[in-house]
Amino acid sequence: MKIGFIGIGGMGRPMVEHLLVAGHCLTVWSRRLESAQPLLALGANWSESPTALAAQCEVVCTNVTGDADVAALADQLREGLAADSVHIDFSTISPALARLIGERHAEHGVDFVDAPVSGGTAGARAATLAIMWGGKAALAERLAPLFACLGKTVVRVGESGAGQVAKACNQMVMVAAIQACAEAAHLAKAAGVDFAKVQAAMLGGSANSRVLDFFGGKMARADFAAGVEARLHHKDFVTLMAAATRGAIPLPIAGTVMQQLDVLMAAGFGTQDTSRLLSVLEQAARH
Amino acid sequence: MNVGFIGLGLMGRPMALHLAKAGHSLHLWARRPASLEPFKAVDAHLHLSPAEVARHADVVFTMVADAPDVEALAFGEDGLASGARPGLIVVDMSTINPNAARQIGAELAAKGVAFIDAPVSGGETGAINASLTIMAGGKPEVFEQVKPLFEKLGKSVTLIGDVGAGQVAKACNQILTGVGVMAVAEAFNFAAKNDVDVSKVREALLGGFAYSRILENHGQRMLDRNFKPGFKAWMHQKDLRIVMEEAHRLGLMLPASAATAQLFNAMVGSGMGEDDSIAALKLLEKISTPE
Repeated sequence: MKIGFIGIGGMGRPMVEHLLVAGHCLTVWSRRLESAQPLLALGANWSESPTALAAQCEVVCTNVTGDADVAALADQLREGLAADSVHIDFSTISPALARLIGERHAEHGVDFVDAPVSGGTAGARAATLAIMWGGKAALAERLAPLFACLGKTVVRVGESGAGQVAKACNQMVMVAAIQACAEAAHLAKAAGVDFAKVQAAMLGGSANSRVLDFFGGKMARADFAAGVEARLHHKDFVTLMAAATRGAIPLPIAGTVMQQLDVLMAAGFGTQDTSRLLSVLEQAARH
Repeated sequence: MNVGFIGLGLMGRPMALHLAKAGHSLHLWARRPASLEPFKAVDAHLHLSPAEVARHADVVFTMVADAPDVEALAFGEDGLASGARPGLIVVDMSTINPNAARQIGAELAAKGVAFIDAPVSGGETGAINASLTIMAGGKPEVFEQVKPLFEKLGKSVTLIGDVGAGQVAKACNQILTGVGVMAVAEAFNFAAKNDVDVSKVREALLGGFAYSRILENHGQRMLDRNFKPGFKAWMHQKDLRIVMEEAHRLGLMLPASAATAQLFNAMVGSGMGEDDSIAALKLLEKISTPE
């Protein structure tokens, strides 16, 4: 398959590598040529612009940071994409923007698929991402071989935008769990109890979660190197709380977590791991 | 071994029966004689007071609702302390305030009685299947003596630290499960209000970093709209009260736990106390739907 890929950072680069290994023909574009060099060395082609890239490919993937980046790229890609081609966006953006791009692309006969992922850079490297996508059911067969190169849980959630709704749910459940871990660690430490032992005991019971295993472990070791940078979770919460406000959907826990992420950003922890939510609690208790 | 057991409710009954099946001689007392019926078929001695149980037992387990119940059993009239022989071990498997556990431990120690706090996670199913998670606090040499008994009740048995540490671990567990249930309920309500298939959302999330036992099991029961307990909302409310009491005592900011405790208050206040804690979903639906 002739596939274009834009957004070759920590997540995108290993995804492109998996697609190359599977024998697909890849074309990439990025703002800086240097960032593409390792992929060009593996056999990827270079394109001068998003529009030129779109003109050569039947499927174009984007994996960038936020609404503004995706909206700008979508306009450029639309100028190049032929009818019956597909634009898959792996970024985490607002469901409303995903629906809007879907409508605009459809006017040109181009299919849009919002396919945000969960699993982080480790999941991207191991090709074990959870991919939750929204788009036409008829595309499932065509896209299955591509998705299979990247993830092990692939679910079509619904029409355009539904993937982003699922991703918002994912972020709510995950970051609330990180906050709950931070509060548990804070309570255990304040009571003079070894949180590593508490974590070990809880992993055997009903509190077991991937977050308790990974982020709980980081908190027990006071290892705050990112993982996923906390600023990206903050960005996701800005997006989902805006959607909640628009829809008048009460999210009391997510709202509280958003406040803690605001404090985390203000404290200068944005480029570190989200397990820094523990430090936010500890800072508030410091004399 | 002569094993006393007081608190033969949904959790205590199957636990005591596992100990009898393992060949231990049970010594029982219950407020309501009906609770003793299931023990007529096993090797169990029935007594007229907690003090009598203490007089005959090497180890006494208690499994009751809250700290005042444990205190009354230990120090009330004809309580465990009044009948205890030196060297008796009292193991409290109830979920109570960690500081209350420390005080009970200190008072018993003054009378030559050893104390272990050993709250559990896993619910009635875990008690029946002997697959509970047991989080213990106490002296290592005392823990070693009762560990073989714990292993008849649960599959994950951890000594966390000194007396009270088991209750701290349980409080941590209830933060994670309480906030977890609430977060899953919020996410499901959010998806439903966006007209997205909630079962598909759950399926997708199970493969990612949001995976938890809560999302898997409680999430499925939310989809089935099966609000039968399980673990009752009023019990989770009580456990989060303990968490917030400790936060208050220690001067800790626990914002997500605080918000969760408020939502459990609202559940109990609006008549969902006897439902499973997953009725959190019903509460969120109720407050985001026009009359």
